[in-house]
Amino acid sequence: MKLEDCKVVFAAVGLIGVLIFASPTLGLVLHLPGGEKFSELWVLGPRHMAEDYPFNVTAGVNYLVYVGVGNHMGSSTYYVVYVKFRNQTEPLPNMTTGAPSVLAPLYEYRVFLEDNSSSEVPLTFSFSNVSSVGGQSTVGNLAINGVPFGVDKSVSWDAVNSGYFYQLFMELWIYDPASDGFSFHNRFVSRWLNMTASV
Amino acid sequence: MSVLLRRRPEGFAWLLLVLMVAGLLSFGPLCVRGTGDASASVGEADVAVRQAFNATLDAERAGANVSGLILRLNEAGEILTEAEMALGTGNSSEAASKAVQCIGIAESVKGDAVVLKASALDEAQTVFWMSLTFSVVGIAVFVVVLMLVWRWFKGGYVRKMLGMKPEVAHDET
Repeated sequence: MKLEDCKVVFAAVGLIGVLIFASPTLGLVLHLPGGEKFSELWVLGPRHMAEDYPFNVTAGVNYLVYVGVGNHMGSSTYYVVYVKFRNQTEPLPNMTTGAPSVLAPLYEYRVFLEDNSSSEVPLTFSFSNVSSVGGQSTVGNLAINGVPFGVDKSVSWDAVNSGYFYQLFMELWIYDPASDGFSFHNRFVSRWLNMTASV
Repeated sequence: MSVLLRRRPEGFAWLLLVLMVAGLLSFGPLCVRGTGDASASVGEADVAVRQAFNATLDAERAGANVSGLILRLNEAGEILTEAEMALGTGNSSEAASKAVQCIGIAESVKGDAVVLKASALDEAQTVFWMSLTFSVVGIAVFVVVLMLVWRWFKGGYVRKMLGMKPEVAHDET
């Protein structure tokens, strides 16, 4: 081996050594880009599993589901989950344009989550003042977690699916510290509810 | 009053009516003010929770462990929701009471977040200077040692080359 070749080997070893010794400081100064940032929203049945969801509902009975939120946004995040209720003709959120449903929220959850953490909250609901006349079903009141709301929603008989169908849905909103406001996070989950059993 | 009732019963009825109307007029604004105050308190609680979250986020960015603050923020958020629900159902006194409770927690979180941030920044500065010292001293020592090794190696190499005896090789061609 020539002396010049040995010089190159020593220079390479020197460079590697310098990088090893500099790495603790470089780790504090350089920040590599993290992974993909996203949030999760889900709804589970009464046993915290994706089964036994309430579907055929009747007035005066309490139903339970769990709403879950997961944070993978790279930092702690402040979410609001709005609970809304609609009949078949009222609009859902528009996922293409990222616009929330125009319906007013009935109930809300405020959830603060650290990065890579999740939370599940119970959502109990019951109906009252339900009637059915001439192929038309009307729900007067919906109580969510014990708080009553006058909803006054009506649906016509769905002959294809045989039922009076309403939808309970949850929208995920996220707080933006820069604008000091909430914006729709383009995520929602829903459950169809058949009011046939109560009429 | 009893004399008036006996002599002028219709006059007493008018007086009673005027008193009732006056009472309603004075009570109405009180009710409106009560609802308005509760609404303002809930608004203040909402702002306080946002500020507490922003302070927590700042502390987190400074490197602090904010798990405890997040737990308390969730508690404040739950109470804020209860306040808003109470306001929606017309229960102003409960809404105002919950809002005050929420503001208390949010301000406590905000204060703790500021302290945590300062402490985390101090710690981060100490860690940075320790790392920088380690890197600078480590690199200097490593380079000096490497140069000494190089000189020793080079000397040995040259000595080895000078100590070699020339040999005559036959050219086969």
